[in-house]
Amino acid sequence: MSMVPSAKSAGALYWPVQARRNIGVRSLFLVVLAFLVAYGVLFPGLFTASGFAKFTQSWFPLALVAMAQAILMLTGGISLAIGATVSLGAVIAATTMAGPLGVAGGVAIVVLAGLGIGAATGFIVVKLRLPAIVVTLAGSFIIGGAALLILPRPGGAIPAWLSDLLAGDTPAAFVLLVVIVLLWKLYLATPLGLSLYAAGENPVGAYRSGVPVDAARVAAYAISGLLSTGAGLFVAAQTGSGDPVIGTAFTLNSIAAAVLGGIGFLGGQGTMRGALAGSLLLSLMISVMFFLGFTPVAQYVAQGLIIIGAVAIPQFRKVQP
Amino acid sequence: MTTVAPLLAARGASKAFFGNPVLRGVSIALQPGRVHALLGENGAGKSTLINLLSGALRPDGGEIEVDGRAVPRMTPALARQAGIAVVQQELSLTASLSIAENIGLGAYPKRFGLIDYNELAARAKAACALVGLNEPLSTPVGQLALGRRQMVEIAKALYRMPRVLILDEPTSSLSATETKILTDLLERLRGEGIAILYISHRLNEVMALCQHVTVLKDGTCTADRSLQGTDAAGLVRLMVGRDPGDLFPQWQPSASPASAISVRGFSAGLMRDVDLDIRAGEVLGVGGLVGQGQEDLLLGLYGAIPAKAASAVVNGASGLPGGVPKANALGLAYVPADRKREGLHLIHPILTNMMLPAFARLPALKLRSRKTERETGKSLAAQLAIKGDLQRPAQALSGGNQQKVALAKWMPHDPLVLLLNDPTRGVDVETKREIYLMLRGFAAAGKAVVLLSSDTPELVHLCDRVAVVREGRITATLERAALSEEAIVSAAMGAEKQKVAA
Repeated sequence: MSMVPSAKSAGALYWPVQARRNIGVRSLFLVVLAFLVAYGVLFPGLFTASGFAKFTQSWFPLALVAMAQAILMLTGGISLAIGATVSLGAVIAATTMAGPLGVAGGVAIVVLAGLGIGAATGFIVVKLRLPAIVVTLAGSFIIGGAALLILPRPGGAIPAWLSDLLAGDTPAAFVLLVVIVLLWKLYLATPLGLSLYAAGENPVGAYRSGVPVDAARVAAYAISGLLSTGAGLFVAAQTGSGDPVIGTAFTLNSIAAAVLGGIGFLGGQGTMRGALAGSLLLSLMISVMFFLGFTPVAQYVAQGLIIIGAVAIPQFRKVQP
Repeated sequence: MTTVAPLLAARGASKAFFGNPVLRGVSIALQPGRVHALLGENGAGKSTLINLLSGALRPDGGEIEVDGRAVPRMTPALARQAGIAVVQQELSLTASLSIAENIGLGAYPKRFGLIDYNELAARAKAACALVGLNEPLSTPVGQLALGRRQMVEIAKALYRMPRVLILDEPTSSLSATETKILTDLLERLRGEGIAILYISHRLNEVMALCQHVTVLKDGTCTADRSLQGTDAAGLVRLMVGRDPGDLFPQWQPSASPASAISVRGFSAGLMRDVDLDIRAGEVLGVGGLVGQGQEDLLLGLYGAIPAKAASAVVNGASGLPGGVPKANALGLAYVPADRKREGLHLIHPILTNMMLPAFARLPALKLRSRKTERETGKSLAAQLAIKGDLQRPAQALSGGNQQKVALAKWMPHDPLVLLLNDPTRGVDVETKREIYLMLRGFAAAGKAVVLLSSDTPELVHLCDRVAVVREGRITATLERAALSEEAIVSAAMGAEKQKVAA
């Protein structure tokens, strides 16, 4: 085995592999682009600094929960506790940051809570071999209850400077998202990260190949929890205070975004870039329909129809090759 | 000649599943620089033996030895450390990952904690070159044809630089060219001193490639010897042959000339261009190695999967049924092999299971008559000797009794053709005997019984004729006089040209 790869082969595998992963989401990218253009026409302010900042801020939490859901779906799992975990992250942030712990302490607790809840959920699902959907449904009651215990009614506070930094006229949300995506690429370049796909699609084969299947799955749950409480922190910064039920809608929206992004329910199918595009599409759809004057009820109906359509179209293609 | 300690060996290994012995005192020794063939019929215990050797299962008795030293607790991880690589029949690949990522899976080269893609590319490329895979390494495995995936699986084993290479039917999905590449490769690896265990149903491959053979039959070793001076017919004899005892009922001719099903140019699933006549009053066996398309033949006739035929007559009606309700109306009944998932609704009462086909025939909103159901259930239970309370869930029954319920549910409708998919798999001997008697009884009553079976003695001793399926075609139809285990196994493996008797 040559330990010194030739200059030609340097990067000759990693980038083609990445490029191949785009193939499945190309048409999705086109649709997202079309929606972006439509949105830009309807709302020219998108291309100003503050317009861009506002738009990325409205997308950011959905992007995080879509990633949180997608990483679990890639391992063959799912979470119904994402919304509750977002709420918990928000109330922890709102009750700690203004207190003696300060922003740094608050962030640390939000991070630890996310990792801890995720790892505990993952441990129960993986080690006890229980269905993820049941464990996370029960988890959503427990976590949601904990959020209500910490902060029974909306309140608490986020330091104003943090709110201004994250949710003011700055592109901080976009920068953060770029950083998170880069960290994800880094994780996927580790053996444990890439094992996600094998553990989700062919667990028996992965186990026989020496992949630490259980560890890969528990790690996925921990990361998912972290992304969820992180989204909660951001939402609290946006509103300037904590609300114990603010995350509820994120559970189903995270599934919708992941499904729109081409993540399959059976595990190992799909890409994170697809899930992100799906969350962007969902976010754009909501905004465009708002500008077109859809009533909220009509928005929900249209959203549902579009999601079913997005999932059904590839099926039709399969039937008639 | 072999004074060297075997790289990997089993000594007197035994294994039982749920009290059913699968391996009894089997020994095998893999020597460096030798291709060792492992032969045996379906269910002879080959896969279990591989699982013991690779640490996926632990033996109940006996020992696994690496380099002549006993390893008391063999695990897959230990096996990998010892340089044992297994190419399983079911692939261990991930469709959405690239060829290189699949080949390195579980053993990626690392650099600063990250996968070293350059090193991976170099090593995967070397492994691919060995098996003649020239697709770009970044191609997702999901885009490859089955044969190419098999080659990736083999490259994955080679990537780990094994000392012992175990291949479980590696050529079953390979083209002739790919098979050639593989056999050349195995020759070369043998020359490098690797021990190879080769499992295949293709006897000519085994004869050409291997030096030593172990034959398993019903979980015991019937031969462990050099292949020199052995011929294919001799190997087949070592794999088959069992004392039928009084397991099977006395065979009596009952075939009448009346045709129940007649198809020409029939295709369904894996099956292509099949001409088949099924006569009333006969038991027609369908044999062959597992997964050659036999099941598709039954399902296609039953209308459960799409099928087409140049011409078809089913119980006097022309054309294939095209759907299960239509097939039922024409007097066809199908009993699936997988009782737990397809044949029965395990958590529901035995009685409900028996009544299910009847529910399909009743007007949808007519009230059920519990009394009639109970009476029908009772008479069915008596007829088929199903013991116990019919209100218990079906899962409370033994495998054999479950099978009887799966059969019983069709009886009230007096089917003219019974399509049975391996009805005696996992059934105890006593119940087997009862089922055999029943099947002969059905035939004597003028029904046509189609018996798909993986149990060769069953085909020989119970059937009037046996159609042997290989690679989606009926390669031989053996009449009663020509029936023998050797004849069926030979036809199934393509060991010799069979005369096709009409």
